Amino acid sequence: MVMGDIATATDLLVIGAGPGGYVAAIRGAQKGLDTTLVEKGAFGGACLNRGCIPSKAFIHGADVAHDAANAEDIGIHADPAVDMSRMQEWKSGVVDQLTGGVEKLCKANGVSLLEGTASFEDEHTARIAHGGEGQGMETVEFEHAVVATGSRPIQIPGFDFADDPVLSSEDLLAMDSLPDRLVVVGAGYIGMELSTMLAKLGTDVTVVEMLDDVLPGYEDDVQRTIRSRAEDLGIEFNFGEGATGWEDTGDGVVVSTETEDGETAEYLGDAVLVAVGRQPVTDTLELESIGLEPNENGFLATDDRARTDVENVFAVGDVAGEPMLAHKASAEGIVAAEVAAGEPAALDQQAIPAAVFTDPEIATVGMTREEAENDGFDPVVGEMPLRASGRALSMGESEGFVRIVADEESGIVLGGQLVGPNASELVAEVALAVEMSATLEDVAGTVHTHPTLAEAVMEAAENAQGQAIHTLNR
Amino acid sequence: MVERTFELPDLGEGIAEGELVSWLVAEGESVVEDQVIAEVETDKALVEIPSPQEGTIARLHYDEGEIVPVDAVFVTFDVAGEEGEEVTDVADGEVADESSEPTETAETADTVAAETPGVESDEAATGEDDVESAGPADDAPVPSGRVFAAPSTRSLARELGVDLAAVDGSGPGGRVTDADVRAHADGTSAEAASAAVVTGSAAATADGTESAATVAPADAGAVDIQEGGAASTSGPAAGAPASTPTADRDRTLGMPATRRLADELGVDLDAVPASEEREGEPFVTPEDVRQFAAGGSADTAAESSTAPAETTEAGASTVSVGGEDGGAGETAPEVSAGRKSSGAGTGADVEARSGERVPYRGVRRTIGEQMAQSKYTAPHVSHHDEFDATELVELRKELAAVADDEGVKLTYLPLVVKAVTAALQEYPYLNSSLDEENEEIVLHDEYNVGIAVSTDAGLMVPVIKNADEKGLKQLAEEIQDLAERARNRKIKPEEMQGGTFTITNIGVIGGEFSSPIINHPEAAIFAMGPIKERPWVVDSEVVARETMRFSMSVDHRLVDGADAARFSNRVKELLVEPSRLLLE
Ligand SMILES: Cc1cc2nc3c(=O)[nH]c(=O)nc-3n(C[C@H](O)[C@H](O)[C@H](O)COP(=O)(O)OP(=O)(O)OC[C@H]3O[C@@H](n4cnc5c(N)ncnc54)[C@H](O)[C@@H]3O)c2cc1C
Repeated sequence: MVMGDIATATDLLVIGAGPGGYVAAIRGAQKGLDTTLVEKGAFGGACLNRGCIPSKAFIHGADVAHDAANAEDIGIHADPAVDMSRMQEWKSGVVDQLTGGVEKLCKANGVSLLEGTASFEDEHTARIAHGGEGQGMETVEFEHAVVATGSRPIQIPGFDFADDPVLSSEDLLAMDSLPDRLVVVGAGYIGMELSTMLAKLGTDVTVVEMLDDVLPGYEDDVQRTIRSRAEDLGIEFNFGEGATGWEDTGDGVVVSTETEDGETAEYLGDAVLVAVGRQPVTDTLELESIGLEPNENGFLATDDRARTDVENVFAVGDVAGEPMLAHKASAEGIVAAEVAAGEPAALDQQAIPAAVFTDPEIATVGMTREEAENDGFDPVVGEMPLRASGRALSMGESEGFVRIVADEESGIVLGGQLVGPNASELVAEVALAVEMSATLEDVAGTVHTHPTLAEAVMEAAENAQGQAIHTLNR
Repeated sequence: MVERTFELPDLGEGIAEGELVSWLVAEGESVVEDQVIAEVETDKALVEIPSPQEGTIARLHYDEGEIVPVDAVFVTFDVAGEEGEEVTDVADGEVADESSEPTETAETADTVAAETPGVESDEAATGEDDVESAGPADDAPVPSGRVFAAPSTRSLARELGVDLAAVDGSGPGGRVTDADVRAHADGTSAEAASAAVVTGSAAATADGTESAATVAPADAGAVDIQEGGAASTSGPAAGAPASTPTADRDRTLGMPATRRLADELGVDLDAVPASEEREGEPFVTPEDVRQFAAGGSADTAAESSTAPAETTEAGASTVSVGGEDGGAGETAPEVSAGRKSSGAGTGADVEARSGERVPYRGVRRTIGEQMAQSKYTAPHVSHHDEFDATELVELRKELAAVADDEGVKLTYLPLVVKAVTAALQEYPYLNSSLDEENEEIVLHDEYNVGIAVSTDAGLMVPVIKNADEKGLKQLAEEIQDLAERARNRKIKPEEMQGGTFTITNIGVIGGEFSSPIINHPEAAIFAMGPIKERPWVVDSEVVARETMRFSMSVDHRLVDGADAARFSNRVKELLVEPSRLLLE
C-alpha cells in the first residue's frame, strides 16, 4: 500500500455508473450490502450522457420539426427554423436532470459514490485513481465486485476520432451546429437512428454500408420498410462498400470506399460519422491482477449468475456481451447484486427486447418465425398491418405492422416483431407475454383500448388463431 | 477425464419420483457398469439403481431422504478417455461470447444492431451454480432448455431449488405454475398424482383400524404370516356404483392442489362434473371434487374405467396391519385429516395443528391412496364367522413336522390359501374384478392370492401367482420367501401385482374380527383371526375347542351377501375337515 493511501472496506464495489453499474449499486444497497460505486466519467454512463437519452432527445426534436414541415396533407403549412444550439441546451438539461437523479438515488439508497478510475490489485482489493492533479489514490477492499465498464465506439483504420471531421456518435450528439452534408459509415441501429434524425433536420446524408441492406440481422420486411422511408427522407445508400479513408479537399471531406471486388467510390461530406459498432471497455481495469482475461470478442465471459471466472467478481452490461443494450445491462446488474447478497437470482429471462428509433420505429422481442423453427418449435404467426389500424391512420401513418410468433401447439407466445410509430412502447406488451409464457388467447382475450396502436397486438394474436376481425385471416 | 451426468431412470409406469433411501457409493469412489449405486423407494417398491457405466463418482446430487424426480440429474461421473465429448451440465456462459466480432463488423454494420433482434438470453442460462446454495439447488435452478413459466415462478423455483425443466406444467399450454413448482418441491408432482389415479396402481387397504396401519413395528406385527397369526388386510375394490353422474372426460383442467385432493379422496378428476371452464376445457375446483366424493362413489366410475384392466396386473398392493397398537399414533391424524376434508371440511384445522409432522409419501401414501380409493369405490359388505379348527391344528402339526425335516416352516397360511383357492373355483365372482369402462365383470382365470405383509415401511401385499396349482410345501416356501423379501425391501414391483384375492392375517397381533378393506380392484378379502381355545358347543355341551374366527369383505357390486356367506361356508368346510384339502 502506498503511503498516504486511504483504505476503506466495502461489501460490494461497483465499477462504472452506467445503467448496469448504478442499478447494481442501488440494488446491492437495498439488499443490505455496504456498496461503493466508482465512476471515472459521468454518472449515468454512455446511455444517459452520450447514448440512449441524448439521441432520443434529438430524434424527438427532429420529429417535431420534420412533422411540422410535412403536414400539408392535414392542412398545416410551416417552415420551422431549427436552432441547434438551443436544442443542444435542451438536451443537456434533460441529461443533467437524469444524471443528477441517478446520483441522488444512489445516495438516498446509501451507496457511497467515488469519482475516479478503478483498477484491480488483487481479488479483494481495488485502487481508485482520482482524476485531476494531486488527487491521489485510494484503496478499496471488497467482498464482491461488479465490473460495469461499458463500451466505446469502434474505430476503424483510416478514421481516427481525434481528427476533427471524423465523428463518433458521441461527438455528433455534442455538436452545436449541424453539418450540411454528412457521410455516415455503418447502417446499424446507431447509424440509422442518427442518419434519420439528421436527414429530418435538413442534412444531406450519404450512408456507406458493407453489407447489402440497412439494419443487418433484421427480417427483410423490417429492413425494407426502414430503407424505403429513409430514402424518402433523402438518405442515399451505398451498400456493399467499405470505407477505406478520408481526405480534406478544402471543399469538404471526401470519403473513399471499396467493394469486395476492389471497385472504389468517393463521397463528399462536411464530416464523416463512423458508427460501426461498439467494443467493450476492459483495458482500464488491470484485469491481469485478478487473472481475468477478456474472451476472443473482448467481452468478460459470465455465467448465468453474471459471475466471471473469478468467483467474487461479476460483469454486467456492455462489457459482459451482447446485446449491448441499456436494459440488458440493468437486468444483469440486478442479478449480480442479488447474487452477491446471497439470493438465488439468475439470468433466466426468456428474451431481451430491442428497439430501434428510426422512422418508423422497430421493436423486437423473442423469436422470429425462423428462429422458432430453428429452435424446434412449430410456429404460428399472426400479423396486423397498421394500414388497418384506425389509430395509425389518424396519426397519419399507414406503414408498419405488428407480428406475433407463437408455438402452434400450446399457443404460447414466443416473440414479436413490430414496425410502426411507438413500436418501442408496444413491444412491452409482447415482452410481457413472452416472459409470462402467455398464450395467444391470453393476449387476444385482454381488452385493449380503442383507438390505440396497441390494439394491433391483440389483432395479431387473433390473426395467429385465424380469427382477426380487422384483417383477413390467413 | 470428462464429466458425465446420469439422470434418475424411469422407475416404472406412472412413477414420477422416488425417495433416495441410501447411497451405496460415495463421492470419489470408482464403480463398474451395473454396480448398484443407490436404492430409491417409489410408491411401489424399493428399486436398485445400477450404474450406467464405469467411472468415478464425481458428485452425488441428492442426500439420502430426499425426493428425486425421474430424469433429474442424480449422479455425475468422471469418465476416463472421453475427451471432447459433450458435458451436459457444465456452464459455458454462452451468451457472453455470443456477440459478433467487433473486428469483423468493424468496417460495416453496427454490431449491436446486427445482433439485437430476438436475442434469447435464455441461451445463457445453462449452468452450474455454486457458492451459497448447496444440495440440489446447485444444479437445478436454471433450466438449459426453454421452460414456459413466468418470472415469478422461475424465481420461486430457484428459491426452492427446483429444476424447472423437471416440472410438468399444469397451466395453459403446459406453462409451469407456482403451484406446480411447490408441489414438485414437496415431492408430489401434480402429474404423479393424477398418474396414480389413472393406473389405479394397486395397493392397499386396511381393515377398519387402518389408521393404525402404518409403520407397524416390524417385529411386533411383522407378522408372522407364518404363524397363523394375524394381521392386516387389504384389498382392492373395483368400479363404482353408477349412482352419481360422472363426467368421464379425457382431459380435465384443475389446479395441482385439486388433483392432489382428488387423488387423496380416490376420485378420478375426469369423472368429476366440472363447475367451471378454462381455455374451453372443463375446470374442476376442489369443491367439485369434495362434493363428488361425498355425494356418492361415482367418482371412481371413471377411474375404474381405466383401472380394472390395468390394475389387475399392476396392482402392487400394500396392506396395513390391523393391530391397534402399531404405529397408529403417528399417522392417524393424517388419515383422519383426509377423511375430514372429504366430507365437508377444509382440513384447515389440521393444517394448523401442532405436533410432529411426518411426511406423507412413499409406501405410506400409496397405502392411504389405495385405501381411500377402494373404500370410496367399492361398497364393502363384511361377513364374520368362526369354525372348529381342532383338526386343522392337528393336521398342521403333523405336516409341519414332516416339512420341518425338509427345512420348510409350515404355517396355517398355506392351508388357508388352499381352502380359499378351492372355494374360489366354485364361486368365481369372489375372484373377479369390475371392468367399468366396458361394463363387464372379469371372472379371472387365475387364482393369484395376495398375502398381506407388515414391513417397516408399511404394509405390502406380495402375490402368489397361480396358488391353486401349488402344493402346500411350495406355498409355504413361496410365502416365506416373498414375505421376507417384502420386509427387506427387496421385492420387485411385479411380484406385488396381478392379485385376484387377498388374505391377511390379523391374528398375530391380536383381535378377533376386523372389517378389512378390499385390495382394489379385487372382489374380496379374507382376514384370518387367531386360532385359540374357546368355548364351543359339541353335542349340546360347551367344551373347549381350538377355533378360528375370520372376517371377509366383499365388493357388493360384484358379490351379494348370500354368495359371500356361501363362499365362507365352503372355506369353513374345507378347514374344519382339512383332510378334504388333500383332495383339492
Ligand atoms: C448513440 C447511442 C444510442 C444508444 N441508444 C440506445 C437505446 O436506445 N437503447 C438502449 O438500450 N441502448 C442504447 N445504447 C446503448 C447503451 O448506451 C449501452 O448499452 C449502455 O449504456 C450500457 O451500459 P453499461 O452500464 O454497460 O455501460 P456504460 O453505460 O457504457 O457505462 C460504463 C461506465 O463505466 C465507466 N468506467 C469505465 N471504466 C471504468 C473504470 N476503470 N473505473 C471507473 N469507471 C469506469 C465509464 O466512464 C462509463 O460511465 C445507445 C448507445 C449509443 C452510443
